[in-house]
Amino acid sequence: MRINNQKSSSIIQNIACMLPAVFILAMLVFHLALPDKTFSKEEKRYLTQWPAFHIEKVLDGSYETKFEAYFSDQFPFRNFWVNIQEGLN
Amino acid sequence: MVFSSLFFTFAFLPVIAILYYLSGKNLKNIVMLAASLFFYAWGEPVYVLLMCGSIMINYCIGTLFGRDDTGRRKKKIFLLISLVFNLGFLIFFKYFGMIISTISSIGSWNFNAGTPVLPVGISFYTFQILSYAIDVYRKKIKPQKSLTLFALYISMFPQLVAGPIVNYADIESQMVDRRHSIKKFCSGVRRFLCGLAKKVLLANNIGSLWVEVKAMPYTEISVFMAWAGIIAFTLQIYFDFSGYSDMAIGLGKMFGFRFRENFRYPYTSLSVSEFWRRWHISLGSWFKEYVYIPLGGSRSGKMKLVRNMVIIWFLTGLWHGASWNFVLWGLYFGALILIEKMFLQKSMARWPKAVRHIYLLLSVIIGWVIFEFTNLTDMASFLRIMFGAGGNVAFDNQVIAKLNIYAYLYIACMIAASPWPKKLALLFKRSYFNIYRAAANVYYCVLMFFSTAYMVGSTYNPFIYFRF
Repeated sequence: MRINNQKSSSIIQNIACMLPAVFILAMLVFHLALPDKTFSKEEKRYLTQWPAFHIEKVLDGSYETKFEAYFSDQFPFRNFWVNIQEGLN
Repeated sequence: MVFSSLFFTFAFLPVIAILYYLSGKNLKNIVMLAASLFFYAWGEPVYVLLMCGSIMINYCIGTLFGRDDTGRRKKKIFLLISLVFNLGFLIFFKYFGMIISTISSIGSWNFNAGTPVLPVGISFYTFQILSYAIDVYRKKIKPQKSLTLFALYISMFPQLVAGPIVNYADIESQMVDRRHSIKKFCSGVRRFLCGLAKKVLLANNIGSLWVEVKAMPYTEISVFMAWAGIIAFTLQIYFDFSGYSDMAIGLGKMFGFRFRENFRYPYTSLSVSEFWRRWHISLGSWFKEYVYIPLGGSRSGKMKLVRNMVIIWFLTGLWHGASWNFVLWGLYFGALILIEKMFLQKSMARWPKAVRHIYLLLSVIIGWVIFEFTNLTDMASFLRIMFGAGGNVAFDNQVIAKLNIYAYLYIACMIAASPWPKKLALLFKRSYFNIYRAAANVYYCVLMFFSTAYMVGSTYNPFIYFRF
């Protein structure tokens, strides 16, 4: 019984310490699953869309920059995070 | 890619981690190498070829001069080729512009040569390659036979862009065989989160104060404002850099590697020599092992000690950037350490701790002024303001307004730069282990949550792209 308890407590411990990693993964899944938005009412601007692939743009680095902009503009629950950050400031 | 970007943390990292843990033991290093090359190519799509070329050439040189039948003379020649080649690359890409502009300012000529763009991480990977070449020459290590492992050593993404500088000898066996466990992975994630929080919660926020102060016209900066600003920069640079090292060490751990510490609470030091044993440790030990000791160190007389210190600190300064203020910065610290070594060592031991600490902090803060201003006239005017020689007012309403906003952040930064939080946590862990464990889990989730909010928040830019 004691051994079982120890075992289950170590499993719980492992799950608990994996939470940040699970969070990262969950955000990635949400990112892939949720549809992209085109316009942000809060920021009053068009959000960056999935950039079209051009080999020249990859080589001069502008594709990578655009892709990172796309990734952060379409980040899941973007307005929620921005509100948290603004609230703290 | 920057570690503290959403794309790295929420796309690159999880995808690589999944691929890595799904692949078998033999494939793990290949996944790591492919990930590293992708990581580098993402930021430097063309210079990745430069790095690959450098890897190939150094691999060949290493194999050639590691053979048993290579004579001593030949070995020396190979080492020389390796040094000339690698340092040549570094000098060409990093210092070409500086050399040209210095020559043209001395002779008041006007050269207009296009200077190359600095390949990211070249200062770090060049030093890693050199440590390998010199250690093979010294027979401290055997040359790496596998091209994959050699390439992995040079390009491993956690430490590729901004260190720590990993000596080949430290990591050789880990590349062949390393252990993975949930516990190790978790502690890697936690270390990464500590670094991420240092960067996005502390460094970026306190840094914005320095940006404001630096942008003010010099006649309007009060003495207190100047100090508030440069102290903000002092904290910013520490959290930025040590945060990066924490992230690198944590990432390494997530993939089973153990890197050496790079920062050990430098601002708690009591002398400049101690500061440099705690700040950017991997760079300090690199210079010590591969330049200072070969030159004779401090064992061959006072004159040689002075010469060696000048060389070491000239190079350390220059390594930090292609501009003369960095050289001045290096020599400034070299001079302080030399004075401590030759005159102060005995009497300093009798100074009260508080005095030694204030002396250290003042020296370091002045050092950061030299570091931060590439323009020597600006540097001089700023120092003059700090010491009340610029005719500026001591205090004004602006300082009060700023301190009102930033006071909590200053306090948080100062506490975080000291070892006390960790000591308290360990004390608590010893007496209340279970509560500690639960609290630690909550703590890291909170760090993750707020770091995410700040990372997303920093990309919030209303109106900028608004198209009517």
